[in-house]
Amino acid sequence: MSQVPLRKRVRVKTLLLVLLCGWLLALFLTILLPHGLDGLSGTVGDALLERNAETASANAVTSVVVSYRGFDTLGEVTVLFLAATGVGMLFGGRRQEETGASVARRAAPNEMMVTGARLLFPVLLLLGVYIIAHGHLSPGGGFQGGVIIATAFFLRLLADPDFVLDHARVGLLESLSGSGFVLLGLLGLVLLSTGTFLGNFLPHPVEAMGRLVSAGVIPLIYVLVGVKVGAEVGAIFQDMLEQE
Amino acid sequence: MAFQLTPVWFIALPLLVAFAAPLWVRLGLLMSMLFATPLVLFGLAVSLFPAVGDAPLLETIVIAPPLGIHLHLDSASLLMVALFNLAGVLFASFLWLGDTEPHLRGRGPFVLILLLITGCTGLVLTGDLFNLYVFLEIAGVSAYALSALRRDKTALEAGLKYLIIGSVAAIFILLAIVLLYLETGQLNLAALARDFGDIPAAMQGLIGLLLLVGLGVKAELFPFNVWVPDIYRGSDPAVTSLFSGILVKAFLFVLFHLVFLLLADPAVARAWLMALGALTMLVAELVALRQQDMRRMLAYSSLGQVGLITLALGFASEATTAGALFHMVNHTLVKMLLFFVAALMLRRFLSLRLADLRGVGHAMPVATALFVLGSLAVLGLPPLSGFVSKLCILKGFAEAQAFWPIALILLAALIEAGYYFRWIKVFYDSDPAAPQCRSDDGPAYLPLVLIAGLLLLLGVAPFLIEDWFVQAARALLGRGTILESVLGVQS
Amino acid sequence: MLEFLDSPRVLHGIYILGSLTLFFIGLYGLLAKRHLLKALIGIAVMELSVYLLFIALATSPGETAPILADGLIDFTGMADPIPQALTLTAIVIGMAVLALGVSLAIQYHRLTGNSDMRAMTELKDS
Repeated sequence: MSQVPLRKRVRVKTLLLVLLCGWLLALFLTILLPHGLDGLSGTVGDALLERNAETASANAVTSVVVSYRGFDTLGEVTVLFLAATGVGMLFGGRRQEETGASVARRAAPNEMMVTGARLLFPVLLLLGVYIIAHGHLSPGGGFQGGVIIATAFFLRLLADPDFVLDHARVGLLESLSGSGFVLLGLLGLVLLSTGTFLGNFLPHPVEAMGRLVSAGVIPLIYVLVGVKVGAEVGAIFQDMLEQE
Repeated sequence: MAFQLTPVWFIALPLLVAFAAPLWVRLGLLMSMLFATPLVLFGLAVSLFPAVGDAPLLETIVIAPPLGIHLHLDSASLLMVALFNLAGVLFASFLWLGDTEPHLRGRGPFVLILLLITGCTGLVLTGDLFNLYVFLEIAGVSAYALSALRRDKTALEAGLKYLIIGSVAAIFILLAIVLLYLETGQLNLAALARDFGDIPAAMQGLIGLLLLVGLGVKAELFPFNVWVPDIYRGSDPAVTSLFSGILVKAFLFVLFHLVFLLLADPAVARAWLMALGALTMLVAELVALRQQDMRRMLAYSSLGQVGLITLALGFASEATTAGALFHMVNHTLVKMLLFFVAALMLRRFLSLRLADLRGVGHAMPVATALFVLGSLAVLGLPPLSGFVSKLCILKGFAEAQAFWPIALILLAALIEAGYYFRWIKVFYDSDPAAPQCRSDDGPAYLPLVLIAGLLLLLGVAPFLIEDWFVQAARALLGRGTILESVLGVQS
Repeated sequence: MLEFLDSPRVLHGIYILGSLTLFFIGLYGLLAKRHLLKALIGIAVMELSVYLLFIALATSPGETAPILADGLIDFTGMADPIPQALTLTAIVIGMAVLALGVSLAIQYHRLTGNSDMRAMTELKDS
């Protein structure tokens, strides 16, 4: 790194980049500042908020995510599924030879760590399940809860040398919950009462709003999303961990 | 219970099949499902053609259009869906019949290939802007993973480059979507089209620029396409046929769908898009002249054709648009044929460099003959379909008295002829050192011969489906019809 | 003392400035840094700034979360739920892409011992 010309060149380049970014920033600001400042009014979201009672879900964000824009959520679960498949393929294959070596190389964690992780595990699972099950009542839902569940397993995987996740079982959960999501959507399509894909075909009286069993199909879908997200994020964690 | 064949099956069925992949692994049905799913959907698309001719089919999902997501199936999007699924069938049969590498046959590739096709189908079907972003990411993520499938140095490098460029493009598109929602409060494409004119001009420009950069990267237009040959070089040639045949077409369609929909008068963007198209075409064809690797050569040739399609679509007259759609179909078939041939040659020779392929015409006569046929179709020589589609485009320009695009297209075809004949000449060089084994793997050629047959059929009898292209062009350009069908009589 | 923040113009102005600054910090990181993981982090920062812009500009001061709880009885005076739902979707998608990108980078580094973007020249022709 002693050659002066190289360093000089890098500096000029960096300076140019800073200037470019600054210029673009100024450009964006001059366009955005006059036009983006007043809050929104008369949007699709306001119209949906007015009609939200139809879904009987106390959390309007959940009714948008799972019902009104449920198709987006299906797509998003698919993206996660694709990423998990991709990561699995990248790290898979060489597993048999290396697993033994990696377990041996990793020093046994101390007793406090193992016991602490074991104690935390059920608490984290419970928290995840609670967040998933109350997705239509309070902030939270399938994604948030699913990630918490995956974290619980990740903690065990990191701290507890005896803990192994069964790949086949995780894959099975993944595919069951994914297929379940699509099947629920198709059920909405073929049942005469709703007639649209992902339609809410279970009874969802408005009086029940705020109770745990309400909002028809929304909590069911969110549970499936939770299981799927948990399984996929867990699989990604595990694939990355096994290659250490 | 009512069992209806609605557009949502184009998305729901492959998703279901992909999620249930462990089941197919256990039953040993992986390859047959990969083949059967697009085949069924292709059949569905063909059966829907008459219904769509009268009026576009709208599929509401949960809540009616301006508020919720809907799928918009008109002649243009149906044409693309049919094309993608046909390409899927051809690709699956190539994998199935040919003795392909094991890394293309497992559960992972099955899921990725199926969902790549689904993502592209969703891109052309959806009538909602954010849903479009979601499908863009589905198609994108499966493409990133597919290009790194082989897991060696080159494949990983290709996957990384693709992922970085692709996600930056996706961020630009997301920012444009956010700004559109903040300005109009709408996400439905038709409602956005209605309100786009009310946005202040500077903001319109910014949104347009962000969308153009984002989709330009994805659709491989000129200043944003330097990465393309690297990706095509690093991935498997078979997989590349999907990128060139399906992915680019979907993004081109989306780009022009948005342009025709959002701008009340497409003439605003005409000069820009035509210039981009012409530049893409000329630069790519010129660079292709001196490529030493077949995959890079085919990549540049593919870029050249993308430029041609952009040029014709950007002109936005009915005749050139119909010609461009025809050329899209055509180019998908041709590039699949050429990349399949490249895959077969790579398997035999372990290299696709020009110097290593000397005399391949004697070792693999059928494959080389198919390559010649494909290159003639790219050039647009008479009995093949490339001739008809290029003629449509040229006729469209001539009718509108625009002669500089005609000159450019003919010039590009000349350059194209230059490099394709250079390769063909090397293929038929007699070289004593060339391997003389003639054990051509027979069944693998079936899909290739099928494509060649389709190219000939479309070239000899274009009147079989020419009406569909005109109808599709009308649907693509018919902004008023789309607005009316989605929003009622408000337009 | 901080009442002036209750005016949407001031609050939104601050958010625009902040999130756009973040956006261009991310862009700069992507263009200037050679390390693969740093480039991926640059992409993540750009993404986050877009989410921030969306959520911040779609909500005006004084609006509550669109959830019926704590004695609220109807859906008025609440924030627009759509940007929140879309951001949730976008965050998950962004995380999936980032996970794939990091895995690719790890594998690439393991195979070649190289994590420099400029050294990725394997695919250049002749």
